[in-house]
Amino acid sequence: MDIFNMLLQGFWVSVIPGNLLACIIGVIIGTLVGILPGIDTVSTIALLLPFSYGMDSTAALIMFAGIYYGSKYGGSTTSILINVPGEAASVVTCLDGYPMAQKGRAGAALSVSAIGSFVAGTIGIVGLTLLAPPLAKAALAFGPPEYFAISLVGLIFLSKLTGTSTLKSALMAAIGVMLSTVGLDSMSGISRFSFGIDELDRGFDLSILAMGIFGIGEILSTMTQINTATDIPLVKFKDLYPTREEWRRSIAPMFRGGVVGFLVGLLPGPAATISSYLSYALEKKCSKNPDEFGYGAIEGVAGPEAANNSAISATMIPLLSLGLPFCGATAILLSGFMIHGITPGPALITEQPALFWGLIASMYIGNVLLLIINLPLIGIFVQLLKTPLHILMPMVTVLTLTGAYSINNSMFDLIWVVIFGILGFLLRRTGFEPSPLLIGLVLGSGLERGLTQGLIICNGSIWAMITRPISATILSLGVIALFYNVVRWFTKINCAEKKVNC
Amino acid sequence: MAEKIITLFFLLGSSSYLFFAQHFAFGTLNSPKSGFLPILSGILTLLLSLILLYKQLRSNKKVVLDKVHWTKFIFIIIGLLFYVSFLNSIGYFAATFIFLFYLLKVADAAGWLMPLLVSFSSSAIFYLIFANCLSVTLP
Repeated sequence: MDIFNMLLQGFWVSVIPGNLLACIIGVIIGTLVGILPGIDTVSTIALLLPFSYGMDSTAALIMFAGIYYGSKYGGSTTSILINVPGEAASVVTCLDGYPMAQKGRAGAALSVSAIGSFVAGTIGIVGLTLLAPPLAKAALAFGPPEYFAISLVGLIFLSKLTGTSTLKSALMAAIGVMLSTVGLDSMSGISRFSFGIDELDRGFDLSILAMGIFGIGEILSTMTQINTATDIPLVKFKDLYPTREEWRRSIAPMFRGGVVGFLVGLLPGPAATISSYLSYALEKKCSKNPDEFGYGAIEGVAGPEAANNSAISATMIPLLSLGLPFCGATAILLSGFMIHGITPGPALITEQPALFWGLIASMYIGNVLLLIINLPLIGIFVQLLKTPLHILMPMVTVLTLTGAYSINNSMFDLIWVVIFGILGFLLRRTGFEPSPLLIGLVLGSGLERGLTQGLIICNGSIWAMITRPISATILSLGVIALFYNVVRWFTKINCAEKKVNC
Repeated sequence: MAEKIITLFFLLGSSSYLFFAQHFAFGTLNSPKSGFLPILSGILTLLLSLILLYKQLRSNKKVVLDKVHWTKFIFIIIGLLFYVSFLNSIGYFAATFIFLFYLLKVADAAGWLMPLLVSFSSSAIFYLIFANCLSVTLP
């Protein structure tokens, strides 16, 4: 009942004209980000961080959250119509969405994807509403050893779940931790790795790194790509109705996808992408016609699209209740919180209830808005795929650089944005996923604080630190994940040597 | 090849990081000091880059990458360096106008009038947004 009342108050906050407008702008930008290949959620939020300075903090965060969950709705459009996923989480949708479009059922695939996203998104937000407050309450009992355990396990999980090579992800996360140690040491006040440069004493700003690696890196990738033109099919409103059979086959996958997405979203890593793959595998197993998968099975669109939206809401739970981002997008959202002087975590609900509940309520509203936007306006959004990138990208470059400069009015930051941009481009080119680097940077400072303070509290006994009930539980999960990774790695090496498929 | 160069770069980076990290006190388990995590993370990064490089050297698998317009890449980097170097001396509006016009031409925008108009109007709009609406002190 208490949660219900607080949520009701949140709705009052979220329907204030400024906040409602921010929500509308956020979901529209999010949809565009999802639709337009080459622009991703993290870089968009990174690019918009400076624009939010003049905004009220609640409105700014509502807008960022809108971009975050909105992008997963739009991601399916290009997957279905032109076989190009706008977002990594929509890669799976290509498998059956595009064959459906080739059979003339693009409209049905688009509407099932939008409705599935809405159903599962709502499941996710209900879960967020019910789970985040008790988790935040429990987190009040967390001490440095528990935060150390969560940060460490977050990094361990991350090295497995990014989709690229485990070793590469682990290396990226370790470099992120290394970068987090640059600047003044919070314990002793000693300047580390600054080489006498005053600006480096601040350490690496999360938004500067994100703007460089994701913003400029993405721009460089898009502008230097050798493109081939693609025909974009026309989708009319009347084509959007699925047949009765398509409906019947979609409903259960939508709900199953919602549950799978929510559970995966609670784990560290790119939950939206992983949940969509898991849901696809599950649907194939549950289906009476598994042979249809890959040739236009509607379950293959409904399940994964539902899963990635539900996962998005679930990833907000560790961010809002523990203050820990478990994926690149929530890490940049954290940066958005911090720019406005708000620290997400256990105290957020008690200290900023209007913001916390307003943000959650705005997600319910945003989810409905996305359904309204995505169904009738899909034809208009599809036309946006024809946006000339050679005009758009130079302007986005200037916006990013101006935005980066305006954070601290510093030319030094601008130089770092360019350096990180080149690094981001090279990382992408060579198959290194940059998200773990960003999360390593975020979790690094918490990891160090938790480790050093935890050791001091436990009189230098690592055993005492890791056997506290909560940290022991969390660390056990990490050990299991690590053990599983190592075993799989050795199995793969063995199989490769014997030249057999494992 | 590019993959190995990047890994080698990380290997060298982590070695230098570890070298500088040793200038800070490690402390003890009872009282960890400012070099505690840097040394541990430096060792971990060094080990990971070594393992990765070893794996890449042993592997015969060729990574197929999308084709990239490298000339465009170099021109964009030159533009970025120009912008960062001259922003303070020639001011935001002039630097942004030149940079935008240059980027539009690099990105194959057709004609001269349209890129000129786009760069002029965009620079003016960005200046108004950041300097007037967001009260940012621009050079």
